[in-house]
Amino acid sequence: MEIEEKFRQLKSRGEGAYMPHVYYGDPNEEFSIELIKTLVENGADMLEFGVPFSDPIADGPTFIAACERALRGGMTPTRCIEGVRKLRKAGVDVPIILTTYYNIPYVMGLEKFTKTVKEAGVQGLIIPDLPIEESDELLRFAEKSNIRVIFQVAPTTSDERLEKIVSAASGFLYVVNVEGVTGARESLLESTVNLLKKVRARTDVPLMAGFGISKGEHAAAMVSNGADGVITGSAVAKIYSKNLKSPEKTLQEIAKFAAEMKQACKERNKSSTS
Amino acid sequence: MKGRFGKFGGRYVSEVLMHALIELEEAFEKFYPTDDFRQELDGLFRDYGGRPTPLYRAKKISELVGCKVYLKREDLLCGGSHKLNNSLGQALLAKRMGKTRLITETAAGQHGISAAMAANVVGLDVEVFMGVKDIERQASNVKRIKLLGAKVTPVETGMGVLKDAVSDTLREWATCTRDTHYLMGSTVGPHPFPEIVATFQSVIGKELKAQIMEMEGRLPDAVVACGSGGSNAVGAFRPFVSERDVRLYFVEGGGERLDADNSAAAFSLGKPGVLHGAAMQIMQDEHGQIKPSKTRAAGLNYPGRGPEISHLCDSGRVKPCHAFDKDVFEAVRVMSEKEGLIPALETAHAIAYVLNNGKEFERDEVVVINYSGRGDKDLETIVRYFYGD
Repeated sequence: MEIEEKFRQLKSRGEGAYMPHVYYGDPNEEFSIELIKTLVENGADMLEFGVPFSDPIADGPTFIAACERALRGGMTPTRCIEGVRKLRKAGVDVPIILTTYYNIPYVMGLEKFTKTVKEAGVQGLIIPDLPIEESDELLRFAEKSNIRVIFQVAPTTSDERLEKIVSAASGFLYVVNVEGVTGARESLLESTVNLLKKVRARTDVPLMAGFGISKGEHAAAMVSNGADGVITGSAVAKIYSKNLKSPEKTLQEIAKFAAEMKQACKERNKSSTS
Repeated sequence: MKGRFGKFGGRYVSEVLMHALIELEEAFEKFYPTDDFRQELDGLFRDYGGRPTPLYRAKKISELVGCKVYLKREDLLCGGSHKLNNSLGQALLAKRMGKTRLITETAAGQHGISAAMAANVVGLDVEVFMGVKDIERQASNVKRIKLLGAKVTPVETGMGVLKDAVSDTLREWATCTRDTHYLMGSTVGPHPFPEIVATFQSVIGKELKAQIMEMEGRLPDAVVACGSGGSNAVGAFRPFVSERDVRLYFVEGGGERLDADNSAAAFSLGKPGVLHGAAMQIMQDEHGQIKPSKTRAAGLNYPGRGPEISHLCDSGRVKPCHAFDKDVFEAVRVMSEKEGLIPALETAHAIAYVLNNGKEFERDEVVVINYSGRGDKDLETIVRYFYGD
């Protein structure tokens, strides 16, 4: 399913989108597949599918450890792309947004990379270390393969750069709501709401709020204040990291977490009618 | 294009860091050209750092190699290495930007020391990120950094070496750019860092050029420098890049032997990629996962070559070469016994290359080695190598 269609569908139901981020292969591929199925069955509308990288500079400790474990287990970009195929075969039909650092597509070659991931069933790309200024080439090949490149906007993004980002945006925009790296935070900054308003005034592209969202109340606050959905990062990895020997034992807790997040994304309905 | 060196360089960072890099670029362009800034920096170079550093004719080494060998004595810069040139410059810049705190990373500890010194001179707090493995092997420098009042934060991610310390410092910076400047220690990272560091370090090459003209009445035939990120080399090379008759040699850490698990020779074993915010020559596997480099010299133990040195080697202007650990230790011994100078293990790479490749230098040729640092910090490692525990 294309990203746009997913947002149309959610809009007609008055719901916000929930997208969890997982690093594929942590701690092993079998678990990742079960984890993703669990997330989708319990409310994930889209999936941020992380391809582990050796030096994830925009990630916090939980995801650094996740990348290290996955790489130690022999995960590679090629096996990740194969993993997307497996998920599609297994009936996972939500939009898949593939996330990795720029060196991975750079080394594979941007043309081959965009083509291969599209064929495997990917709808969008998030490359956290690729700002708008460096993205011309990727945008060109992504367009050829009909893949969306998802950009980030932050409270510190200047108006001038925001214009550039908005004009290149497709799929959705990733609104980074704290000045920092991924990590579960206790509270959200007021600046997020202002940022959502500021970006909303400039574009109709859906806005997904991410970074530091780990509780239903965070998600509800975001969708009630102009976000079209939320992204949870390390929150899921934190749950299964507690039991890395038998991570499957945490799937029940993860199912509950996903359901809570999805429920919170429906809260917009309530808050706008009450 | 700004921030590009051929196909290398650029600014590959997450959105949360972009504003800080733009702010830094603007500040550098605004303050660096002013008389006020230059005078303050030159004054500190002279009165605090001890610049200009001498150019020394190493007669015994010259006899051994069979040409005229000069040493540009950056070991005599206060702190014991070339690192202070860059740290003073960036600390002054940070102060003018209204920052109150510096963060940085260090491997051999030399940059950590210079950052702590510069922070004290200028009046800024400083926190130094250092891999746990480097903390262990550069223990005496860690003590110095702490004595200078800096906070040392151990980095346990990855292999606990320089690459991981750079990653963690970038992560920290993303959370505190408003009041904190990242004092990048080498000519690596996203634009404008490579340009800023090279500008401040090019004082080495400018002095060297004037000194050799005075002593020899002509340009040198060759300039040799060690490196990984490339700050001492680029600093020494810059004024000579347009002088096509001057041969430039960049000596990287060969490690134990030339294979990807036992070396830091990225020009022999790497390929172009993107790491820590820039496109550069990097040791990596077929999929683009970064390989940890390996060498006994902590300061050369980085899998990437900065964008400018990557380009200079890629374009053929600079000859990339390497020295193996055993030849490096031998160079330490020769330099100590012949000239009475104990070089840093990093510096000894450049010396080893010249000692072992005498055939590349004609009898009447003038060769300058950038003697980037002294070896006190490596004393234990060196003694253990020669005499065992």
